[in-house]
Amino acid sequence: MADYQEAPLATRPKTLDPNEYFNVSTDQRRVEQSRAALRAELKRQYQTQLNNPHRKELIEDPALTRWVYARANPYTYFRPTFKTSLLGAMFGVVPLFALYFIFKTDRDRKEAQIKAGTLERKFSLSS
Amino acid sequence: MAGVGFRRWALALSKGKGPGISGLLSGCRAASGVTKDSGLGPYPKTPEERAAAAKKYNMTVEDYEPYPDNGEGYGDYPKLPERSQHERDPWYQWDHPDLRRNWGEPMHWHFDAYIRNRVDTSPSPVSWSSMCKQLFGFLGFMLFMFYVGEKMPAYQPVAPKQYPYNDLYLERGGDPEKQPEEVKHYEI
Repeated sequence: MADYQEAPLATRPKTLDPNEYFNVSTDQRRVEQSRAALRAELKRQYQTQLNNPHRKELIEDPALTRWVYARANPYTYFRPTFKTSLLGAMFGVVPLFALYFIFKTDRDRKEAQIKAGTLERKFSLSS
Repeated sequence: MAGVGFRRWALALSKGKGPGISGLLSGCRAASGVTKDSGLGPYPKTPEERAAAAKKYNMTVEDYEPYPDNGEGYGDYPKLPERSQHERDPWYQWDHPDLRRNWGEPMHWHFDAYIRNRVDTSPSPVSWSSMCKQLFGFLGFMLFMFYVGEKMPAYQPVAPKQYPYNDLYLERGGDPEKQPEEVKHYEI
């Protein structure tokens, strides 16, 4: 097992990570235990609700509710800083004006060429 | 509507943070959905706030790391590792097997991008730099060769088309009585 190679397109599983066995202190083990305790508590809550024979409704997931709420309300804690205003300008304001100018100048140039009779009207389909 | 004050109505409509339509119509609100404390909170500054936020999101205090506070609207939402659901153990008995997620587990901000139909952060068979070099090397080479072919075309020698019967004298409307001039397309 010392020469284990990860399967292609997969990360190394945690049980085969050498750090798991060689470099672990008691503090880390304690943190892992509290993580496992949290997970077990959530599992217990879910299984109780799932196997309740009198349950008629869907099991509501508070993590999901929080996630949806967070994604739906990004402007509650939004602050205009340099970075956010720059991003907003780059994506919202600049394309508007830039595209207007690009299209306008290109079409004006084409119109002038048509009026002067210099536009090369080829029979190809692509232009 | 008459039972509820006009002020609350105006507040709700203008700011959008009021009790909502259900509250306005009946004077009470539903018990489901997000309560005042369980939603997104402000960025936690003191250790007590961090501990409370970690508890709210069902994470240990060591794991809980909020997004940096630079006004991007994340609040106290935890910053989880950027790993897609493709990388999770396929053989573990998840509560939601298609999403590879357990009930109550904190969801990544970009969870909907990391589901198994979408973005995959699994390690690639070859390194990123090697992939870039191969792809752009090939594309660049092909573009260059096509450009060279445009500038210096190489084809079989061609000449204008040669027509029989004295360059189709009669078909081109020549006088049948007159004798056309002889057109010879060969040399012996």
